[in-house]
Amino acid sequence: MPDSRTLLRAGGRGVAVLGAAALTVAAFGAAAIVPWPEHRAEPLARSIQPAESRTLRVCPGPMLELGDDAESVSALGSARIATATRPADAGAERVVLAPPRGTEDDVAVSLVTEPGAVDAGMLAGAQSQRLTTETAAGFLAAGCAEPVADAWLAGGSTELGRSTLLLLANPGEVAATVDVRVHSETGPVEAPSGLGLVVQPGGQRVVSIAGLAPGAAAPVVHVTSTGGTVAATLEQTAIDVLTPTGAELIGTTAPPATRQTITGVVVPQSGGIAVDEDHAEGDAHPSLRLLAPGADAVEAAVSVVPEAGGEGSVFDVVLQPGQVSDIPLGELAAGEYTVRIDADGEFVAAARTATTAGGDELPSDFAWFPASLPLLEETLVAVPRGPGTKLHFANPGDAEVEASVTIGDDERRVTVAAGGVASVQLPGGGGSALVTGGAGLFASVSFNGNRQLAGFAVQPPGPLDSPIVVYPR
Amino acid sequence: MHGPSSFDRGSAARPPMATARSEPVLRLTAMSPRVTAILVVHRGGERLTRALDAIRAQSRRPERLLVALVQANAETRAAAAEAAPDGIIQIEERVAFGEAVRRAEQTLPPPQDDEDAVWLLSEDTEPESRALAALETTLETARSVAIAGPKLLEAERPDRIASLGRSMTRFGAAVPLVTGELDQGQHDGLSDVLGVDPGGILVRRAVWRSLEGFDPALPVVDDGLDLAVRARLGGHRVAVVPTAHVRFAAGGLIGPAAGHRAGAVRRRAAATRRAALHRRMSYAPAAATPLHWLSLLPLAVLRSIVLLVTKAPGRIVGEFGAALRTMFSFGAIARSRRVLRGARSVGWSAIAPLRMQPDEMRRRRRLEAEERRARARGRVDGVDFLATGGGWVLLVAVVVSIAVMFPLLGAAGVSGAGLLPLSPAVDELWRNASYGWRDVSTGFIGAADPFQAVLAVLGSLAFWSPSWALVALWLLAIPVSALGAWFAAARLTERGALRALAAVLWMLAPPLLSSLADGRPGAVLAHVLLAWLLYAALGSATSWATAATASLLFAAVVAAAPSLAPALLVAWIVGMAASGRGAARLALLPVPAVVLAAPLIWAQLAAGNRLALLADPGVPVPAAVPGSGVLGLGFTDPALGGWQQVLAALQASIDPRWVVAALLLPLALAALAAFATGRIRAAAFALAGAALGFATAVAAAQLSLAIIGASAAPVASAPGQSMMWLGLVLAAVVALDGVRRASAWLAALLTVATAGAVLPLAVSIATGRAEVGPAAQRSLPAFVTAEAENDPRVTTLRLVPEADGGLRATLEHGAGATLDEQSTFAQTRVTMDAGELALAEIAGNLASRGGFDADRAIDEFGISYVLLGQADADAPRAETQTADRSRAALDANAALVPVGETDFGTLWRFADAVPDAPAAQIPPHAGAPLAGWIATVQLIVFGAVLLLSIPAGVGREEPARRPKRPRPERVRRRGAKVVPAAPAAQAETEEGTPVEEGTPVEDGTPVEDGTPVEDGTPVEVGSAEPEPATAVEEPAHDGPPTDPGVTNPDEREGEHDAR
Repeated sequence: MPDSRTLLRAGGRGVAVLGAAALTVAAFGAAAIVPWPEHRAEPLARSIQPAESRTLRVCPGPMLELGDDAESVSALGSARIATATRPADAGAERVVLAPPRGTEDDVAVSLVTEPGAVDAGMLAGAQSQRLTTETAAGFLAAGCAEPVADAWLAGGSTELGRSTLLLLANPGEVAATVDVRVHSETGPVEAPSGLGLVVQPGGQRVVSIAGLAPGAAAPVVHVTSTGGTVAATLEQTAIDVLTPTGAELIGTTAPPATRQTITGVVVPQSGGIAVDEDHAEGDAHPSLRLLAPGADAVEAAVSVVPEAGGEGSVFDVVLQPGQVSDIPLGELAAGEYTVRIDADGEFVAAARTATTAGGDELPSDFAWFPASLPLLEETLVAVPRGPGTKLHFANPGDAEVEASVTIGDDERRVTVAAGGVASVQLPGGGGSALVTGGAGLFASVSFNGNRQLAGFAVQPPGPLDSPIVVYPR
Repeated sequence: MHGPSSFDRGSAARPPMATARSEPVLRLTAMSPRVTAILVVHRGGERLTRALDAIRAQSRRPERLLVALVQANAETRAAAAEAAPDGIIQIEERVAFGEAVRRAEQTLPPPQDDEDAVWLLSEDTEPESRALAALETTLETARSVAIAGPKLLEAERPDRIASLGRSMTRFGAAVPLVTGELDQGQHDGLSDVLGVDPGGILVRRAVWRSLEGFDPALPVVDDGLDLAVRARLGGHRVAVVPTAHVRFAAGGLIGPAAGHRAGAVRRRAAATRRAALHRRMSYAPAAATPLHWLSLLPLAVLRSIVLLVTKAPGRIVGEFGAALRTMFSFGAIARSRRVLRGARSVGWSAIAPLRMQPDEMRRRRRLEAEERRARARGRVDGVDFLATGGGWVLLVAVVVSIAVMFPLLGAAGVSGAGLLPLSPAVDELWRNASYGWRDVSTGFIGAADPFQAVLAVLGSLAFWSPSWALVALWLLAIPVSALGAWFAAARLTERGALRALAAVLWMLAPPLLSSLADGRPGAVLAHVLLAWLLYAALGSATSWATAATASLLFAAVVAAAPSLAPALLVAWIVGMAASGRGAARLALLPVPAVVLAAPLIWAQLAAGNRLALLADPGVPVPAAVPGSGVLGLGFTDPALGGWQQVLAALQASIDPRWVVAALLLPLALAALAAFATGRIRAAAFALAGAALGFATAVAAAQLSLAIIGASAAPVASAPGQSMMWLGLVLAAVVALDGVRRASAWLAALLTVATAGAVLPLAVSIATGRAEVGPAAQRSLPAFVTAEAENDPRVTTLRLVPEADGGLRATLEHGAGATLDEQSTFAQTRVTMDAGELALAEIAGNLASRGGFDADRAIDEFGISYVLLGQADADAPRAETQTADRSRAALDANAALVPVGETDFGTLWRFADAVPDAPAAQIPPHAGAPLAGWIATVQLIVFGAVLLLSIPAGVGREEPARRPKRPRPERVRRRGAKVVPAAPAAQAETEEGTPVEEGTPVEDGTPVEDGTPVEDGTPVEVGSAEPEPATAVEEPAHDGPPTDPGVTNPDEREGEHDAR
């Protein structure tokens, strides 16, 4: 029979258990609720500015013509090269690269500054050329490019009457082993001869795309190099029966991404083919070349924004993996456009338009507009001589960007609204433009004149010279 | 005229004469005195009275009585004056007995003939009435006898002989002829001896003066022996007179003070050793003295080792003190030798027959050993491993381990987030464990992590392939954990089922399995050793061997998981406070850990980075910081060891935390229920330990200390969770131990529920889906490892693109980084050192196009290879870009020759790379001479602790003269109920008798007090008492003064019956 003492003891133990339980709950509560002070060691990073080196740009040089055999080429005329440096007296040296096999002509030129003479990106070059031969006619322009290890080139055609060459220039000191892979409208092209091409240091090489992918209406070329880096450029000429219908140098386009911006697409004359037209014959209409290089089909939404303002058109396309699609941009009024493509997978893009002189049946020139990469804070653009030169900006971001463009001594303010586009007229005699405060904008240069049409994207300097964050632990 | 004035002046030199006193008790005869009694007094009091009374009561009274007052107080002076001796010599400083006697004797006129003798007494001696008569008779009948010694009997127990003659061994060690024996007249035939103890001896004054009295260099011990030896060498005889009885209390005036307190024992041992060394230096032939002098220190070292093994570390200081003081007391030795030379008339061979014969010494040693064995036999360890099912638990644990660790069976190495191979050579392991060159990345000279020493030990055990030691650790972690918990629980309960429960719950602990799955060697080791540490720490208070073992385990646990150090130190302090006299042994606990970590502690404090001391050793594991809910459930990842995936597969939309919480609820409830059993203290300590562990885990989650690439690795929470789990498990054991029925069923329920909670985790390890797995053959491309065969310092720059677009750059030497090279100091530095800055510059430039002179990589670091890691296919864009950029830059660099793609990334070789690059070599004499000093100190401390941990002290660690205590006496005192007694408590006490002392009385569960609490401290007061003998001698102090538990005998009976 429990006496009071036993009861007392039982009660005491009960209280002890309850107390312990309460303390447990309190401990958990305190651990969960109280924001205890934290101590998180900061990673030790050091941003390394690479030692100054020669800044280097490669200009592809004059249009080449394939000779009798595939190995020989010859230059058609010469290109006018515009060079710009900042500071202006940095003194860019022009080094002529060893010409490709089969020709004696000097072709590509590399622009070199002494180490430390200019900051990254503050050396720019561009070239233009007007061709009026019997086999090739038209206006072509290209920016002088930085050699890279991985380049995508969208453009060209190897159908009847179309000739496309790939120019590979290696201005470095290490031989580059280059693999050229071509995708066409039927998918990746098996072309072992495009693999393992060695480009000697300080030399260049010409590859006929027709040799790799004959009869391809819509090739996209992917150039990868190991060892040294190369500057890759496509050049295309067109001839319809006996009439040359244009020529163009096609620079690298932006690497595969889920969003691409092509700005400054010049449509000289109103017209075009509806987007949903199944039988878009020929290459005279404004069109878009898209390739999803991945393994999955990609759905892309294309919006065509007129620079003049007003509603653009929007349409969706599905890109089959590995197959290049040439898609008409629809019927467009004459003017400049910016094409923005958003997709659920990575893809590369470029646009093409053509100009037809009044009364002519056939187009007299065409142009390829590669996709651009976003600019850095300061960008130097070299502008070669040409007709109707314009510097275009597109701002796909959410905030208005106000940049200033200095041409010679003339500084202009350019305001690009969020999602908007803008352009600046450039003097026809060439020169240079310094864009400041333009971080995040996409830019390109276009030329539009009578029987003359060309454009090239303004690409920011590659990351190779930019500072890199190193964690030495 | 020499009355009161002589008191005041305290003169010792005044010639004493008969003092005219009003009522002299001892009247001197006019004739020439023959026996002068010299009574040395220090304390006075009752003893003095008794001594004086005894002198007065002599059948043959001494003619004169001199009293030498040594620093006596006024009361004693008065008492001495009242006794009216014939002279009082005041000595104001504290002098030894021999010196006091010498001064007193000097006041006497020179001896007139051989009959003159002094009788040396002190307040501690109480001669029986016929003592002087018997002594004098001996001197009278044998003219050659110069010194006659009485039979000294123990004052408190006059039936026991305290001393009857002394002798020496052949090597000069002093040995008593008889000691502690019951006096049954068995030694009454003894006469001629080599030496005597000085109490109560009668010495011819002529001889005394010729020998210059006692040697002042032998103030406490061996003074009588030395005097007698010199007398013998002077051609005299020394005899004991067994019929002269003198009661002797070892009060510290003659000979060393008695007592079993540690301090008294230590002082006695030191004085004995000093005396022995002094005699050795005095007696040795002149030619041999330099040799003896040189041998003093080496012998002290050797004897210290023996003292450690025999568990008497307290005597080491005295040992060295004796050696050093003897080494530098040239004057005293010279004096002793001079006196000896002057008095000597016969050779040493004359006394050889009186020395203790070797066979007698052997017999004595045999007897001692037998006695020790007998004592050791009395011990019951209370563990009964096989009888209570420990074997089955081990078997089950082995089977579980094989099942869970199946992928690792037959592996040569183990890989995981925090794992790397160990250095292939054992000497390299030890070099990496000591202060000096830290060969991690760019390298520096600094302190090693204590964990490297643990790795070195593990690696040395598997010397043929050190990396395999980690495989063994993974394979053995579960069984060894289980055993540890089983033994720890054995301190709490004698029920096999509950011990098994503790073992199973501990080996299935989520923190252990999480650490095993992730590959965190530090956390695994901490878990494995924590229960063992508790087991050892609970026995520390009573045994040096156990205390030393616990301190080594403590060092290993803290080395493996420094984040546990604060919690363990708190537990240690609480344990020290609770363990009473055992605190001395417990104080040893953190010493090896501190010595091991001292260089690192110093370095981190000097760097102002105190928190970094808590950083986990080894490879930092960047991981998500677990929330406190996850921490409380014992897991370290938000997926709760795979429950998230399991529930997702079942398409159950339940938060996995609830599922695990439900499965762990029984354990939590059982732990809380420990309070209901009445073993409040055990429950409180267990749960306080659990709380401490939880707090440690939460605190660890707030800290990210080690920097690896672009992230900082949080401190592992698993060790804290292990401690929490241990507290919970022990509390649950306490609770179930209090349940009379169905505890086995409850234990089964706990086991099943807990096993369920960790099942997904165990399955993921067993099926190879966990991070941990067999190690790859290499950690660098074969191209590099092949070169490392010829050039062990071949240096590879490893570049790894980070998710944020940065580039991680590290250097690896030889065949790759190893676990034993890692350094928390390097990982936790908050600034970059010069090497890291240079490395960053080189790596950044190699990954960029630029005008950088790539040969700087060879000049500064001797880099031969550059290895660029691949970015994963699903890596963020910034990472891919950095990888591409770096590859392009390296490709384009004319100084680099591409080697090709490997399993570890793309490899380049420097065209100008040189074998055995000078910049890649470890600087010669790195860290010298500091490294040598630190290693020496650490080796000495660990050597001493290791020697101390050898369990050779069984039966030794107690007072040598501990009387056998009749057991029934205690039973009678305590009541029979307590006798069924706790095996655990018994295990802690050295000889098993004082079980009851450790016995908690509150509820009659006898083990409670000796109870292991999770913090590793024996909390009881009683069992912490190392020398129960003291308790016996002072019965008033014996045992707990209050005994509340006795008031409720019924309940206790019931509980015992339930067992």
